[in-house]
Amino acid sequence: MDKIRFFIRQSWLLIVASLFFGVLLAVLNAQWEPRIKANEIAKFNRRALALVPDANSFEAIGSDITIDLGKGQKTQVQVKKALDADDKLVGWAFTVEGSGFADKIRLVLAVDTKFKKLKGYDVLFSNETPGFGDKIKKDFFKNQFHGAPVKEYTLTKIGDDKAIDDQIVAISGATVSSEAVVKTINTYLIQVQEGLRKQGLIGDGQ
Amino acid sequence: MANNEGKTISAQNVLLAGLWRENPVLRLLLGMCPTLAVTAAVKPALTMGCSVIFVLICSNIVVSLMRNLLKPHLRILMFTLTIATFVTIADLFLKAFQPDMSEALGPYIPLIIVNCIIICRAEACASKNGLFISIVDAIGMGVGFTLTLCVLAAIRELLATGMIFEIPVLPTAGDSDGWFVPWAAMGMPVGAFVTLGLLLAGVNLITRKGRR
Repeated sequence: MDKIRFFIRQSWLLIVASLFFGVLLAVLNAQWEPRIKANEIAKFNRRALALVPDANSFEAIGSDITIDLGKGQKTQVQVKKALDADDKLVGWAFTVEGSGFADKIRLVLAVDTKFKKLKGYDVLFSNETPGFGDKIKKDFFKNQFHGAPVKEYTLTKIGDDKAIDDQIVAISGATVSSEAVVKTINTYLIQVQEGLRKQGLIGDGQ
Repeated sequence: MANNEGKTISAQNVLLAGLWRENPVLRLLLGMCPTLAVTAAVKPALTMGCSVIFVLICSNIVVSLMRNLLKPHLRILMFTLTIATFVTIADLFLKAFQPDMSEALGPYIPLIIVNCIIICRAEACASKNGLFISIVDAIGMGVGFTLTLCVLAAIRELLATGMIFEIPVLPTAGDSDGWFVPWAAMGMPVGAFVTLGLLLAGVNLITRKGRR
């Protein structure tokens, strides 16, 4: 009994403060959580809308698609339908994530209705080297993916960066960042296509 | 105003100490991690500075109010608990109201928890002084930290991009009549080390001359 009394005498302030701060954080979190979620959705929509200008809204499909990242790692990706004002499908959009030069990179990808051609990508988050790796945000690199066929892309150091095909010309001085974009897109694109086909959302008769 | 050692402390002295004489970055060399990491541009540096001011003021208030109830061997635990709470609030606030800045600053906002400036002020000032002096100390230290970060960030952003606060200042080569060639290295970690080193050398030079 003496031990319990001693324990309470020593730590009552810590216990009371923990409870008070815990409640304070819970209240603030409950208050701001909807806003934080809305910010994330708005950011995705902003980027995706730039890639699919015909779209009016984005609607998640019924179930997420499982992506095999290799080395036994798996992740889920939420694919969204891009719908125009008449609720007609005008494309697909989803978020992909991979490892960049210094930090992870998160991209939004948009694909046409039949999932045959990429409409392009935009960067949701990256922390690549300023002046070098951060050129993955520049149009001259991004445009190589605009209208490119949905297949595995290959990174080359020399080539025509105006040609729209599966050959992507790396950014000079930022091969690792260019490779990260290509590798991340390759990891997801074909598996998402397969997943949508399995769900009957693309392919024959769709 | 008197502290528990009986010495008289003037609010003006406490405020000025944080701004210059005991500037956390330039004189005490505390908080080096955010100083080097978030000063590539003025906007994230200012956001980091404001977050630190908020956490410093709130933690100093709480620590000062409960200073007579603190058990000496549990005080660091209490400081950390208090600081972690206010850092989490700042992090949630930025995620809700400044999402772009929150993403740009990444892990450096949560890392304020281990920022030496905050725990140093809780230990050295707030746990020994009354509420008023603790708040003044937090404002002085916080503003001193923010101003230093902004000066460092302004130099780096200007040399790396030709802009300050994302407003073009120097005409970049390639534009009509442009002459400034962006110095990408200044936006990278090496730029932070070099600029901070030169700034510290300058401050040491000024203070040495002052002493003579």
